[in-house]
Amino acid sequence: MPTTITKKLLLIVEDEVSLRNALCIKFNREGFSVIDAKDGEAGLEIALAKTPDIILLDMVMPKLDGMAMLKKLRATNDWGKNVPVILLTNLGADDEHRNKTILNDENVEYLVKSDWAIGDLVEKVREVVNK
Amino acid sequence: MPHNKVRNDKERLYKKELEDHQVAILDVLENNTTDAEDIRLSRRAILNVLEDLEVNNAILEQKTIELEQSEQNILHTKAISDAILESIGDGLVVVDKEGRITYVNQAFERMVGWKAEEVLGKSIIEVIPRESEKGEIVEFNERILTKVLSGEIVIADLTNPFYYIRKDGSRFPTSSIVTPIILDGEIIGVVETFRDITKEKEIDKAKTEFVSLASHQLRTPLSTINWYTEMLLAGDVGKLNSDQEKYLDEVYRGNQRMVGLVNALLSVSRMDLGTFVLEPEPTDVTALVRGVVNEQKPQIDQKKISLFPLFGTNIPLIQTDPKLFRIVIQNLLSNAIKYTPEKGTIELSLDLINKKKTLLFKITDTGYGIPQNQQDKIFTKLFRADNVREKDTEGTGLGLYMVKSIIDNSKGKVWFESTENKGTTFNVELPVNF
Repeated sequence: MPTTITKKLLLIVEDEVSLRNALCIKFNREGFSVIDAKDGEAGLEIALAKTPDIILLDMVMPKLDGMAMLKKLRATNDWGKNVPVILLTNLGADDEHRNKTILNDENVEYLVKSDWAIGDLVEKVREVVNK
Repeated sequence: MPHNKVRNDKERLYKKELEDHQVAILDVLENNTTDAEDIRLSRRAILNVLEDLEVNNAILEQKTIELEQSEQNILHTKAISDAILESIGDGLVVVDKEGRITYVNQAFERMVGWKAEEVLGKSIIEVIPRESEKGEIVEFNERILTKVLSGEIVIADLTNPFYYIRKDGSRFPTSSIVTPIILDGEIIGVVETFRDITKEKEIDKAKTEFVSLASHQLRTPLSTINWYTEMLLAGDVGKLNSDQEKYLDEVYRGNQRMVGLVNALLSVSRMDLGTFVLEPEPTDVTALVRGVVNEQKPQIDQKKISLFPLFGTNIPLIQTDPKLFRIVIQNLLSNAIKYTPEKGTIELSLDLINKKKTLLFKITDTGYGIPQNQQDKIFTKLFRADNVREKDTEGTGLGLYMVKSIIDNSKGKVWFESTENKGTTFNVELPVNF
């Protein structure tokens, strides 16, 4: 009988087209099933509909930003409360958010995009999703 | 008027002389009235005296005119000096040896809100307290003015602005110059000029905010370049030939350099805006320094530099922000490597001193050194010493500024000794809070 490998489902929520495309291409290539959204509002809707294994979530976005989407997500249901989220930002200065919200949530990681090579990001996602 | 008094005194003197001669003649007349020759001589004497008087009087007149003119000149010069002092746009205050105010100009009155008559004779320390950016009052002994009065040479710390407090309790950022007044080789007081640098601070803040915003915006395209270049280099869309790989590698490294620069600018703008939050935690500083040394080992090896690290034994976990302490060590080590010629030597040590209450990090190189006349500017933002500009074109002038800001914010101390073409030693002290 052939072995079925279940691909991990990854949701990418990122408003910058170039970055969203790069992430989609890379993670698809690395064996993930990828779905994507261009803002927090669409991201939340897709997340609740598809219940991905992990979410890559941009911080600064139109409509609903990353922090607001994360808060809503955590308030939805058991799945939403625990799904691992990697917050991606280019701010790097959001100490207040980082201290008050992110550090208290053990299922949230916080990464500065420009400091991360995309290959390392793939490794990080694998590590988190397989925890 | 003083010269009129002199004139009157002289006149009195001549009158007295004339009277004396008259008395003498009368004496002669009384004692020997028949002697015509004596009378003639006496008459001539009187005429001589009168002649002398006229000459002396003319000279006196001339001297008086000259004296009057000199006085006018002095008054004029003084009026000009007073007008200049009063017209200086900067606040000006003169104090005596005891620090009591002896003169203030109009700008002083306008800037601090005190009238001259309210402050003359009072201690300057009481009249205009000085405080740091964070509102900590600068103690009497720490005031530049006190130090200058005691003959100490003070080098202005341009990275730490201070504030003067007005009569109404409000404050303004200040830049000041304090100079001793020396008479016959002795300091008899101090003159201080100061400027309100509120506008400059506002401009600097606007610039910092702009840099912060621009840096954030820059990071997105930099990430794009990074990620796509990396995917190409990883062969995700096909194998590259060696030239393509070489060129793309240049693109990737150039972009990495840009990321580093943007990060440095962001850190600096966050420090300047006061949004850099210290997050102290128990940190294994020995491991941290070793880690930084390992990261920079390729550059050390490339320049064939001999490195001699020395770590104290049993350094416990230190309460510090590891992220910021890392920036300090990274910058000091990378500077030592950058500014030491090939086959040079770098010694670094980490240990506890002062009954284990202080952590001391020391790094000594045999590099180009910092020119004597630029040493006071070395911690200033964007400053780069002349002798290294040509040797390293990639430097930003932000590293030591960041080091100083971080150490100051951590209540520590950073200082250096340097001789051009011989080398530099940087010392960092941090209080240890177990």
